[in-house]
Amino acid sequence: MATTTATVSISSSDLMPGSNLSINASSTLMKTGLTTGLEVVEMGKNTLTVADSHKALYEGGVAAADRDQASWVYICNSATDDTYYIEVTLHDTVIGSLYAGDWMFMPYSQGDNAAELNLEAEGGTCPYEYALFATSKTLLDSDQA
Amino acid sequence: MALVPTLTINDTTTFSDAINFTVTDSLTVTAPAQSLSTEIVTTTGANHTIITAATGIRYLFVRHTGLTGADATTASTARLDVEDEDNNTLVGISAGEFAFFPCSVAAGSKAIQLQSSSGNIKVEYAYWTKG
Repeated sequence: MATTTATVSISSSDLMPGSNLSINASSTLMKTGLTTGLEVVEMGKNTLTVADSHKALYEGGVAAADRDQASWVYICNSATDDTYYIEVTLHDTVIGSLYAGDWMFMPYSQGDNAAELNLEAEGGTCPYEYALFATSKTLLDSDQA
Repeated sequence: MALVPTLTINDTTTFSDAINFTVTDSLTVTAPAQSLSTEIVTTTGANHTIITAATGIRYLFVRHTGLTGADATTASTARLDVEDEDNNTLVGISAGEFAFFPCSVAAGSKAIQLQSSSGNIKVEYAYWTKG
């Protein structure tokens, strides 16, 4: 069975005097229904310029069968200038700003084709890495006769 | 103050080539911050504001424990929504899942709340403000 495991740990030695912070969470990434592991993975790296404005990293569930399915997304801003950031939006709702070197990991359900996940570089060109772990990806009809 | 988040993704069974990567970061953080806390989240998001509206970016960790909170064993399979104060969903989290992301809706000018799709959900969360 497909078994993709994601683990996040968050630690700090100086947040609170005399008490180190250590948070750990682990999850096996499952398809909708929580019994079968995810089997679709798309990953890569790219570059986003300020002039690009908003760009859709994922277009949501383009095929109806792929909508409202369990998926996870990882995005890392690989820029090195501390003032450069990537604004991440779900359609027109801002999720957050990913500054140079920062990453995010969260579920993304691709609710419909208006639930696209957008990226926009601010301050300067941002190289980034990404990965999508998804329940399904339905192949679309080809334009080829 | 430094916060060190690390993500590891590992898969040795799905594909002929294993996936195994780790990414880490060192974040400068400041107050306000909320250490790891629990909240019994109901279907009324406005009752579960976890971050009040304030300028800035919050590094937010949220975990759906898979429990209702009634006791240590009663399971919850409801979906947990992380929303802004206008009920726009940022992230939907299923039982046992978690999210970690820099949260800054409208540059932090909107509060962040949690809402269950049905019944109660016991949730763990923490946040720190970007320094």
